[in-house]
Amino acid sequence: MLGMTWLQGLARRRTGRLVGQASCVALAVLLLASLGTFFAASRAKMTKQAIAAVPVDWQVELAPGTRPAKALDAVAATPGVVGALRVGYADSTGFRSSAAGAVQTTGPGKVLGLPAGYATTFPGEIRYLVGAHDGVLLAQQTAANLGATVGTKVTIGRPGRSLGTVTVDGIVDLPFADSLFQSIGVAPGSAPTAPPDNVMLLPSSTWQRLLHPAAGGAADGISSQIHARLSRALPADPGSAFTQVVGRAKNLEAALGGAGLVGDNLAAQLDATRSDAIYAQLLFLFLGFPGVVLAALLTAVVAASGRERRRREQALLRTRGASPPRIVRLAAAEALPTGAVGVVAGLIAASIVGRAAFGTSRFGATTGQALAWGVAAALAGLALSFATVVLPAWRDVRLLTVRAAQATVGTPRKPLWSRLYLDLICLGVGGLVYWQAVKSGYQVVLAPEGVPTISVDYFTLLAPLLFWVGAALLTWRIGAAVLARGRGVLASLARPVAHGLAGVVSASMSRQRSALARGLVIMALTASFALSVAIFNTTYAAQARVDAQLTNGADVTVTTAAAAGLPAGLPAAVRAIPGVAAAQWMQHRFAYVGNDLQDLYGIDPATIGRATSMSDAFFAGGSARHVLATLAARPDGVLVSDETVHDFQLRPGDLIRLRLQFASDHAYHVVPFHYVGIAREFPTAPRDSFLVANAAYVGRMTGSAAGQTLLVRTTASPQAVAERVRAVMGPASGATVRDIVTQQRITLSGLTAIDLAGLTRLELTFALALAAGASGLVLALGLAERRRTFAIASALGARSRQLAAFVWSEAAFVAVGGLVLGALAGWGLAYVIVKILTGVFDPPPGRLSIPWSYLVAVAAATVAAIVAAGLGMIRATRKPAVEILRDL
Amino acid sequence: MNDDALVRAESLSRIYGDGLGAVAALVGATFTIDPGDRIALVGPSGSGKSTLLHLIGGLDCPTSGSIEWPALGPREALRPGPVSMAFQGPSLLPPLTVLENAALPILLAGGMEAEALTTARAMLQRFEVGDVAEKLPEELSGGQSQRAGLARALAGSPRLVLIDEPTGQQDRETGGRMMDALLAAAAEMGAGLVVATHDLVIAERLPSRWSVDGGQLRTEVVACSG
Repeated sequence: MLGMTWLQGLARRRTGRLVGQASCVALAVLLLASLGTFFAASRAKMTKQAIAAVPVDWQVELAPGTRPAKALDAVAATPGVVGALRVGYADSTGFRSSAAGAVQTTGPGKVLGLPAGYATTFPGEIRYLVGAHDGVLLAQQTAANLGATVGTKVTIGRPGRSLGTVTVDGIVDLPFADSLFQSIGVAPGSAPTAPPDNVMLLPSSTWQRLLHPAAGGAADGISSQIHARLSRALPADPGSAFTQVVGRAKNLEAALGGAGLVGDNLAAQLDATRSDAIYAQLLFLFLGFPGVVLAALLTAVVAASGRERRRREQALLRTRGASPPRIVRLAAAEALPTGAVGVVAGLIAASIVGRAAFGTSRFGATTGQALAWGVAAALAGLALSFATVVLPAWRDVRLLTVRAAQATVGTPRKPLWSRLYLDLICLGVGGLVYWQAVKSGYQVVLAPEGVPTISVDYFTLLAPLLFWVGAALLTWRIGAAVLARGRGVLASLARPVAHGLAGVVSASMSRQRSALARGLVIMALTASFALSVAIFNTTYAAQARVDAQLTNGADVTVTTAAAAGLPAGLPAAVRAIPGVAAAQWMQHRFAYVGNDLQDLYGIDPATIGRATSMSDAFFAGGSARHVLATLAARPDGVLVSDETVHDFQLRPGDLIRLRLQFASDHAYHVVPFHYVGIAREFPTAPRDSFLVANAAYVGRMTGSAAGQTLLVRTTASPQAVAERVRAVMGPASGATVRDIVTQQRITLSGLTAIDLAGLTRLELTFALALAAGASGLVLALGLAERRRTFAIASALGARSRQLAAFVWSEAAFVAVGGLVLGALAGWGLAYVIVKILTGVFDPPPGRLSIPWSYLVAVAAATVAAIVAAGLGMIRATRKPAVEILRDL
Repeated sequence: MNDDALVRAESLSRIYGDGLGAVAALVGATFTIDPGDRIALVGPSGSGKSTLLHLIGGLDCPTSGSIEWPALGPREALRPGPVSMAFQGPSLLPPLTVLENAALPILLAGGMEAEALTTARAMLQRFEVGDVAEKLPEELSGGQSQRAGLARALAGSPRLVLIDEPTGQQDRETGGRMMDALLAAAAEMGAGLVVATHDLVIAERLPSRWSVDGGQLRTEVVACSG
């Protein structure tokens, strides 16, 4: 009965406080429910996209003597297999072509026999570049080596004899060559086998006719594989899907009884995705959890802003004989309805946010996942409400005397953490943990090769956590120290608005340093949260774009496999297209470094940056500008990969003899280069070894300056520009035109499967709302709790501007101090998070990307919220409420 | 009509709320307060004394009737300056020391800080709370708070001083000394003084006694007893 009366009284007299508490609980529930559901959905999406990125799930290598038809039946009968075809593999000693009177030969290669329907059963395994989609197909690099195109006759070499001559019907690219030509059954940890440099694809019938032992071919180097595709109905969790697929593969191997070994491409992909899923969890931890903690802190602060009054009310109840348990029950009577209202509001808001950001209130998750996270968030919300209202009340009745409970300001006692210097300890230990992470190369997710389990180095995660806690406590210490010892400075700063009252204003602020320092910390934490999240997301987006640009080369890229290169007039024609900012040539050749055939890119170092971004991360030993200038300064200079430097023990200035194909005889000849630097990444270059040299030198030495790639920077939609370029090229050009947007979509895999755009929208909006809401709410509630003080000052004759001096001085301290300290902490935190989560980024960022416009918006929203809170309070103090006057 | 009157009110009424729940705190009060007047406002709790003080001090507006301050200026100019009040309940600003509280009316009126603090300190001494000048209000007893409130009311040298229950939290002896100090200070400033009280001993020390009961004001002048 008393509880109901108490609650009704609170609802009538303390509406603002109850609404504030319920709003904060709602905020925490909203964030927890949205992010939790979003990440649950993301894991399922990651699995789905990982599976979609594998064209051939299993490659079953048949043991010699195995009857392929029987093995094919066994594979096809395995549960989950939806398609299986037999593929023939044969070694070739090399290919030979003769065109325009010149004979071209290649090194050893592979000849595959593909059955009809292979491309449709395993979509994506073969990318058609030029010519027909069936018949005799030549890999792009082989075609370049042979100078072959559609219609060229090529002779296949086999040990001791030539098998015959076939006519090329098309040129293809094999994007999954690594897995297509993998060594199946090798011991875990063995060095991966590089795919062959030369590949020819034949229809099964032709392959059988030319190569099969039964057809008179030699048996050496001939084998058969069964390629299989599995049903996509796999568990949503990448780890569970991995376990299931591995289990099925082992089952098949057992069924084959030694007749075949399974090369499990799908499991390999899911294995990598398992790590990505862990990274996704870490992202949730780093980007979502601090938000929930902040919302919880905010609830605590809102509850604490009414705590003095609540203490006095409870002290009054105690003097009237209320027992401690009854007081705690009264606090519970306040916590339960505010918590319940907050939970309901938070869940409704989460549903609305999901619908707005992702088109579904379930954020793309299953009903079960959404329900689970909803219930978890609701329980967390109720727990939060009880923890912030009931717990302090329980503590107060146990520890405080009635007299102490009636105190409103008190002499601020140094908290225990301050006396123990916990802030500095946190920062110091965080620094040590970070240093440890630096030493280990930021390996947070540990996935040792050949080990079935992956683990997270949770110890490393302590670094940002300790930084965050340390920065918050240090902010408190700084704020409290400035308020305690900097009264003179504060008075000087307040004088322009407070005039003669400046001393009193600064004294008032100093004596309320606990409350002001609390507001300062909340402000700094929300600002740092917004800043770190924004910097992380912007850097991630920038690196995703760099990744796509690396793969695609530029906004739009035109490539040809023909040795003759692209038409000479193409750059000028492309530059004339609306939406094109720049177009630059790049040569794409092949060069032998010892016996290793590598891609060689001939560029003009001075102008390449006009058409594509040259990131510092592409090069080692200096900025992109510096490395390119070094290359330009030495005409015969060459940039090589880390691996090549290591393999050949190179030092800057060392001579390297490369073999390049000359235009005059299409044969490979030695060309001297000098090693001038290291290139780790380069537009369109493969991930492993490649070379970058001056195009002018390559052209002069090989007798051909032709460019095989045209990089285009656009000012309009890359897709639209690509369409226009295709129109300029014409349908018969044989060149490929790709744009970065389409490429970004194609190369989505692993962690990028997380729709970071949706997450970014969600987080940035939340951070903005939190920063503005927290600052406004904390200030408004703090001021509201002192309505009586302002009413007294008003009764004594304080003018509006004089009351405003108190309000604005406090607001400015919290806002400016919070934003400045929060910006410093946020930047530091973002730096640490980006470094520790280096594995998330591909390529690792050279520097942080700062989203200035967003940060200005956060600052503006925060200041606007503070101004609104201040103006509201000044307006309210102009005419003191009658009930306050009657209390005086 | 005396143009030097501090306050002149005609048919002054203050009704809280409306309709059936309306409460008439003061009905049709007509009075004048002149410089040097010493008025005790007596009546039981809830009779309307505080409401009348708030109306005289310009803190509240009447629902009907009129009130003006011919010698003091318009309502907006009354505080801080010509009119000051000491309240019945705790009214010291919690984050300011007793000294800063006492100096506040002077500072609000535009006085210099050093001068304000000196004057305030002297007034605190007068009301026997000089030794707690540097303490915070919550460190004071109820009686000390009340005395500090009196000191603050007089620190700004007002022309009309309104005091609500000045000795409610003092023992009789201290209450007597506080009234002495109050009357002496008001006399030195030539200020009018209105004291709301239900302590007849206190009321008898003032030459004029007005009583309020059920919102009705009755003014009577008692011959000066000394």
